[in-house]
Amino acid sequence: MRSLTLDHASFWYPATESPALRDVSLEVGQGEVVALVGALGAGASTLLLVAADLAPRVTGGRLAGAVARRDRSGIVLPTPWTQASGMAFTVWDEVAFGPANLGWPTHEIARQVDRALEQLELVPLASRDPATLSGGELQRVIIAAILAMDPGLVLFDEPAAELDAEGAHTLWRLIRLLAREGKAVLLATSALDAIPDVADRVVWLEDGAVRAVGTPDLLADVAACDAGLGTSVATVWRAGGLPEPYPLTVAHAVQRWR
Amino acid sequence: MTGGRLHPFTLLAIAGALPALAWILPAPAGGAWTLVVALALTLTPGASPGFTHIGSSPGWRPGLVVLRTALLTAAPFWLFLLLLHDVPTTIATGLRITTMVASFVWLVATLEPARLVEAMVAAGWSASVAYLLAATISAVPVLKARAQRIVEAQRCRGLSPRGGIAARLRALRALALPLVLSALHEVDERALALETRGLVPGIRRTPLAPPPDPAVEQAARWALLLVCLAALVRRFIVPRFV
Amino acid sequence: MIPVLRLDRVSFSYGAVPALAAVSFAIAPGERVALLGRNGAGKSTLVRLVAGLERPDEGALWVGDWDTRDCVPEQLAWRVATVFQHADQQLFAPTVRDDVSFGPRALGVGERDVERRTDRALEDLGLTAHAGHHPYDLPPALRKLAALAGALALEPALLVLDEPTIGLDRALRARVTRVLLDRSAASVALLVITHDLTFAAETLERGLVLDRGRLACDEPLAGLVGDATRLEPLGLVPPPVAALSAALDLPGRPVCAADAARALARVARGRLAP
Repeated sequence: MRSLTLDHASFWYPATESPALRDVSLEVGQGEVVALVGALGAGASTLLLVAADLAPRVTGGRLAGAVARRDRSGIVLPTPWTQASGMAFTVWDEVAFGPANLGWPTHEIARQVDRALEQLELVPLASRDPATLSGGELQRVIIAAILAMDPGLVLFDEPAAELDAEGAHTLWRLIRLLAREGKAVLLATSALDAIPDVADRVVWLEDGAVRAVGTPDLLADVAACDAGLGTSVATVWRAGGLPEPYPLTVAHAVQRWR
Repeated sequence: MTGGRLHPFTLLAIAGALPALAWILPAPAGGAWTLVVALALTLTPGASPGFTHIGSSPGWRPGLVVLRTALLTAAPFWLFLLLLHDVPTTIATGLRITTMVASFVWLVATLEPARLVEAMVAAGWSASVAYLLAATISAVPVLKARAQRIVEAQRCRGLSPRGGIAARLRALRALALPLVLSALHEVDERALALETRGLVPGIRRTPLAPPPDPAVEQAARWALLLVCLAALVRRFIVPRFV
Repeated sequence: MIPVLRLDRVSFSYGAVPALAAVSFAIAPGERVALLGRNGAGKSTLVRLVAGLERPDEGALWVGDWDTRDCVPEQLAWRVATVFQHADQQLFAPTVRDDVSFGPRALGVGERDVERRTDRALEDLGLTAHAGHHPYDLPPALRKLAALAGALALEPALLVLDEPTIGLDRALRARVTRVLLDRSAASVALLVITHDLTFAAETLERGLVLDRGRLACDEPLAGLVGDATRLEPLGLVPPPVAALSAALDLPGRPVCAADAARALARVARGRLAP
């Protein structure tokens, strides 16, 4: 079942001539993880805002084409500190802020919050003051806060930016878990090397338009490598003058090597 | 009794009644009494939550930080008054203004934004309105923290906040503009970000921990209102009939 | 030769919370050092101590021959330029050019020299076209570069960077690598906090790993970065190129993309199955 459908969607920010999104058609199904890749400014963040119903409703601007959503969406922005409520004494309260705003009964709130804290391995930090957390810890708290609102469509904009290796690993595992639970996940990330283990499909955005769609193998294409969007292994393989098809990951390279 | 444990509406009532009385009661005695009360409040143990973990200087006990902030914030007003008025007017108005400043500073230090939101939601206000009010009140410590980060960044690039008046004024100017601009810039981002946390009008927020509102406090709030009204009547209306 | 930075059993706590415990190391002029470790290991705290924003509870920090306990941050700016993690909190002038020249001007450098330094920093980072814009009008990635340009214009003996590549794409990361290698060749020492081990492998030569406030590791990056068994208990993971090197047992175990490509090319002849 499609959780999100964009049908020839174009979007212009207020007072801007050129569109940030150009004729984008895209579907994300329940249980699927789709990764958006592209150069900075290619439109991935804008696409996520449109998917979250924040553009043009809150940002202003003009949307052409159709956007259909089946489920409630939740979005984790690349600047998680702006999403913090600023008035929670503890991490638990911070995560409960969203569900409380949705008017859910207390026992339901407690269930969702406890589950989210566990999924993000935040239980030891549950009584900490959010103002004392490091950037990476806060990012995990905001992710938990969005998940606690139980969205059917989960949107991530560079969620691993501030995380260390262990935090990032936990996050990618969690995203796969969300897909297994039946959620639809759309994720913009520049962590190209993680994509083969996380995403089912990859959408390459260039200048606001969809340049290519495919499996993560897309990131081992000549075109992707030339555009700086190949995985590290594929890029090095190509730079060494070795023949196609370029391996996507270290494991693939080892197989090719034998 | 700590200020932080009183119901938020009681704190608002006190912070509103003191300046009101300062202006209603005849100067300078009225202003002086209310100021004494306001300054005494800044020394109460409850007056610390808003300040302790955000940029308070080590070595000062929490109560003195609030008192110090109140006095420092009020000081420039005295300067302007001295330049514009004679001494008696300066004293009369100065005491009243200082009461306002001290009450507000005390309120910001004592009122925990989360408790205010909970209290307002429990009283039937919409979550968005409650959040807006609470965010406005908590804007001060947030701005203070931000100002400190800007000052630190500027110091790391060689700008000294010390020195003579000229140097300090220059440093202040270098701080003021980026502070305002970055605050405005963030307001934009935050408006968007808070939508993502479910703060939409029309939904009744679930109270997570509504602060208790004992009958004593409710009565006290009504009493404060009556005292203000009585003072108003006595000061302005009674003389007409005498 | 006096080290550019020396820590001598430095300990620091935020109130009751310990952040650093007995950390000692020294950095020589021109040395390129990575400061690694989990989130919360104490890296940002160490940076604040080096910048002079905090004083160590125990031990001493020396920037050249200055003891930081006797210095204030604006003094240390003569020798150390720090770029903190969030660019927005460090940009405070109406134009990018004004912001970059803020530092040298605050230090009292002559106007012509200020121009020269500003122009050079802007050019090195490819920001000349944006020099007249307001910093907040720039996209976030370029704002980060603007903050870095401001530090470069101070022409310090030591550049301290906290996560300089978050939010940058591959092209911009390569640009930062080039600029840093350039400056290091001119004897500017680098101390860079990063969790991007790929960037660290390309740019830096020595790794200091903090673990719960203690210095767990101080050794050349080339050997450290490919060693999964050493990195794992410290919460780190070998970057793909180093992992590839180890998995294919490439000679010299290169950790840089360019070196790895060359090694692959050399060994590949005759080895690959069709």
